[in-house]
Amino acid sequence: MSRLHYIRPETLAEALDHLDRHGSRNRILAGGTDLVVDLRNGDARPEFILDVSRLHELKGIDVTPEGVSVGAGVTLSEIQSSDVLERHAPALRKCSFTFASRQVRNVATIGGNVAHCSPCGDTVPPLVIHEARAVLASRRGLREVLVEDIASGPYACSLPPDELILRFILKPAADVTFADFQKIGRRRELVIARINAAAMARQEPDGRLSFFRFSLGSCTPTPHRMPEVESCLDGRVPTAELVWEAGRLLAERTIAITGRRPSTIYKEAAIHGLLVRMLHPLVTS
Amino acid sequence: MTGAHQAIGKSIERVGAREKVTGRARYSADIELGAPLVLKALRSGRPHAEILAINTEKALRIKGVAAVFTAMDIPGKNLTGIILKDQPILMGDKVRSIADPVALVAAETETTAEQALKAIEVDYRDLPPVFDPEKAMAEDAPKVHAKGNVMVSRTIRRGDVGSAFTRCKSIIEKTYRTTFIEHNTIEPDAGAGFVDSDGTLVIYASTQNPHYDHKDVVTLLGLADEKVRIIQAATGGGFGSKLDLNVQGFIGLALYHLRRPVRYVYTREEAYLGTAKRHPLSMRMKTGADENGRLLAMQATIICDTGAYASYGPAVANRAPVHATGPYAIENVDIRSYGVYTNNPFCGAMRGFGTPQIAFAHESQIDLHALDLGLDPLAMRMLNAHRVGSTTATGQVFSASVGIGDCLRAIQPHYDEARKGWTAAPAAPYKKRGVGIGAMWYGIGNTGVQNPSTARVEMDRDGSVTLFTGCADIGQGSSTVLSQIAAEILGLAPQAVRLVTADTKFTTNAGATSASRQTYISGNAVKQAAEQLADVLKTEAMNKLRVAKSALMFDGGCALVIGQPDQCVSFAELAKRIKSKGASLSWQGYFDPETVPLDPQTGQGVPYATYAFAAQLALVTVDVLTGEVAVERVVAAHDVGKAIHPESVIGQICGGVAMGLGFALMEEFEPGKTLSMKDYHIPTCADMPEVVPIIVESPEPSGPFGAKGVGEPALIPTAPAILNAIADALGVRLYALPANLERVLAASIAAGHFKPAP
Repeated sequence: MSRLHYIRPETLAEALDHLDRHGSRNRILAGGTDLVVDLRNGDARPEFILDVSRLHELKGIDVTPEGVSVGAGVTLSEIQSSDVLERHAPALRKCSFTFASRQVRNVATIGGNVAHCSPCGDTVPPLVIHEARAVLASRRGLREVLVEDIASGPYACSLPPDELILRFILKPAADVTFADFQKIGRRRELVIARINAAAMARQEPDGRLSFFRFSLGSCTPTPHRMPEVESCLDGRVPTAELVWEAGRLLAERTIAITGRRPSTIYKEAAIHGLLVRMLHPLVTS
Repeated sequence: MTGAHQAIGKSIERVGAREKVTGRARYSADIELGAPLVLKALRSGRPHAEILAINTEKALRIKGVAAVFTAMDIPGKNLTGIILKDQPILMGDKVRSIADPVALVAAETETTAEQALKAIEVDYRDLPPVFDPEKAMAEDAPKVHAKGNVMVSRTIRRGDVGSAFTRCKSIIEKTYRTTFIEHNTIEPDAGAGFVDSDGTLVIYASTQNPHYDHKDVVTLLGLADEKVRIIQAATGGGFGSKLDLNVQGFIGLALYHLRRPVRYVYTREEAYLGTAKRHPLSMRMKTGADENGRLLAMQATIICDTGAYASYGPAVANRAPVHATGPYAIENVDIRSYGVYTNNPFCGAMRGFGTPQIAFAHESQIDLHALDLGLDPLAMRMLNAHRVGSTTATGQVFSASVGIGDCLRAIQPHYDEARKGWTAAPAAPYKKRGVGIGAMWYGIGNTGVQNPSTARVEMDRDGSVTLFTGCADIGQGSSTVLSQIAAEILGLAPQAVRLVTADTKFTTNAGATSASRQTYISGNAVKQAAEQLADVLKTEAMNKLRVAKSALMFDGGCALVIGQPDQCVSFAELAKRIKSKGASLSWQGYFDPETVPLDPQTGQGVPYATYAFAAQLALVTVDVLTGEVAVERVVAAHDVGKAIHPESVIGQICGGVAMGLGFALMEEFEPGKTLSMKDYHIPTCADMPEVVPIIVESPEPSGPFGAKGVGEPALIPTAPAILNAIADALGVRLYALPANLERVLAASIAAGHFKPAP
């Protein structure tokens, strides 16, 4: 067995130096609730582990002129107790309530959840509806990418190994009247989502939706927005029939991406059903 | 019997609770032995194959590998199993499942042991496997064992089913199926051992039955009884899985050859792969009822897949048909049950021995009849419930302690309230509410066979009392209950009774911690031993105090004259006097419930001396768009005879409901695919409903202070109650467990609920 080097830098510069030299043989420890499992079962075989828990640049939730900034090292428990997120990104806060279990939430971070690139990552659909961008740092400098573009496939991260996610910038949910995250699993806690989804909307006094964003997780290789579903509802009054139709369309678009497989028998109806259930509070008769 | 007990019925601090809470309890993995060798087994990875050759040379050349054992290294008889001896600990000629061990490595470290496993070369010739028990019963099916695939069968026949069905207004015939279930004990199997200075192999193990372990290890190694000592270490749950020889044989074999300390701690993955599962059952059941709802006839065929080895399979294949009627009097029955070998993982005991599976069938049937006849499901259960004087399918006539009626009456107000208030109130959009009942009976102890227990109570010269029992407390609380029983008889505080448990050097056989039998059977053995000691003490006190024995009582370590507490003599003084006369202060108790073996042709007999009964009510909400089921409330009424330690009974009920909820909704083990808890879901706290436990006490005359048992009964009614509640909510019934997302959503769609809200 080759030796595993554990490194816990105190400064960002040290971390970026290390990634610059050893990035391809390194795994970043940002909580570790996925990484430690991968190490034990042999799915991850790095030479170095870079623990980013001491880097203050990865901490904090703030409202900035660019948008709502959530540090990559922010834990799910911190998200759960954040008033800022309750005001500006309530769907993201809501996803933390059903995220794994309390023990996991106390150490798991949003950056780790995104970078792990699981199709089922619970923080991804809420980030996607906020058109969130990740701020990336390396010795080469800073750059930004859309969260939607980080995963190139299931568990496949498109970011170069010398880069570190510093924070996420979310477009604030201006005048949004509705935001939600929902998840279907085989039990209520400590469960990987079979389906998860986030939505937010602004509903005018006449019932019309003047803004609508939706993202589906766990069903496609990478979670992303569903433009057809968004345009089906955006600008219209969500009647029970229209929402039902949107659910059907969502299932149809999802299957167009994945093709039919054994799990489709359940997912086709459940994706449809989940959207209908989620948007039911918006339904105007 | 007076109501004024001083130790019985009190929820005293549990024996061992402090040690467990503070982390001082020593589980097998904590036993310190000084650089023990690590053991690991190589498992076949193929379902059915002949072993042509095993080459261990490369493995033995690895530095740090002390030995690699194969079947050829077993000095005694390489066949284990508590009922049928059909399971080698290391396979010699062929493998019958992917979990079958073919070699055992002893190495300095875990890593070296893993390397050695990879270096062992085994040549196999694959044989055609059979995984479906119905196919395995065919004449031309591949033979898992030479003697044929039908391991055991059982018929229970009574009355005339054919003519009874002609008198029925409602006849229902359905097939029910359940799956493999994993026990998920919080502590995976583990053991450790060393060779004592006198040459004894000392084996610590996480076990439910140290005295059985002892017998099989001795046979395996061809040693004299006294050369092996099994000590039960603190054990983190068993649920039936730790009744088999899991690590004990491996540790014994390594100690025999190497004479060095060894340990074997299963990973969760190995516990999943290598230990017994709950039997999947297929149950075809036809029942008939008259227009009043009285059940007149039952015809059933039950097939139990026992996988590659018998383990407790014969117990399951016998208990399921005996319990097939549920707690109801049905005069005409024709029930056949088969235990069948396949190349699946071996199935063994798991909390209930087939009763949780069969309860799913009989409780679905009775609800279907109620629906068919327009009767209330609770009223129909009440009408058919066993009572004193009624006759079971095996011809046993109840003479006492039939608490099913009391259990049903106990849930009645909750049921009425749920029907009137809860289900009638409008549910949220796309949600349906349902109410369901599950009832059960459970025979305490093994089915129509001897299953005695023994115990010893000793007094030292200082008057202190020690209870020696072979009974393994695996977390259910038997040590507490047994010390309460001894204390009650001797007028002591339970904490004053010293305990020596589950150590084959010092304790005698108490039988398995299984079949909900320890309180009833070992409780009686302890009571008898304590009573004998009490009698000797009273006789001596009579001599000293010059009063009739009947005028004496015990209190606080003294014998005293009732009503004249100053007229007393201490146990210490009595002990000295008794000892000086050469009489014994050490008394052995024995109890074996009175049963009559089941007739091989008709299944008639008295399988158990007493039965526990229970009824549970479940309230569920079903999401008709996604198939999610939320169990909101479970009311659980259990007739335990007498609750010796009420908090433990409540603990068992709540734990049973949790396990039953998992069985109902989410637990499913797929051989070869389910590798660990990552792939297998048991309920979390967040999935748990509010549980309302109700203790019903219908005293059992032959039980210690009237007690029966509750360990397994706690689980049995839950899944039927939940499944009946789902059927109530949707109007469509499921016939296979678990009622997972896929099945519930499919049922919702079939029922026409998947549509826009009105």
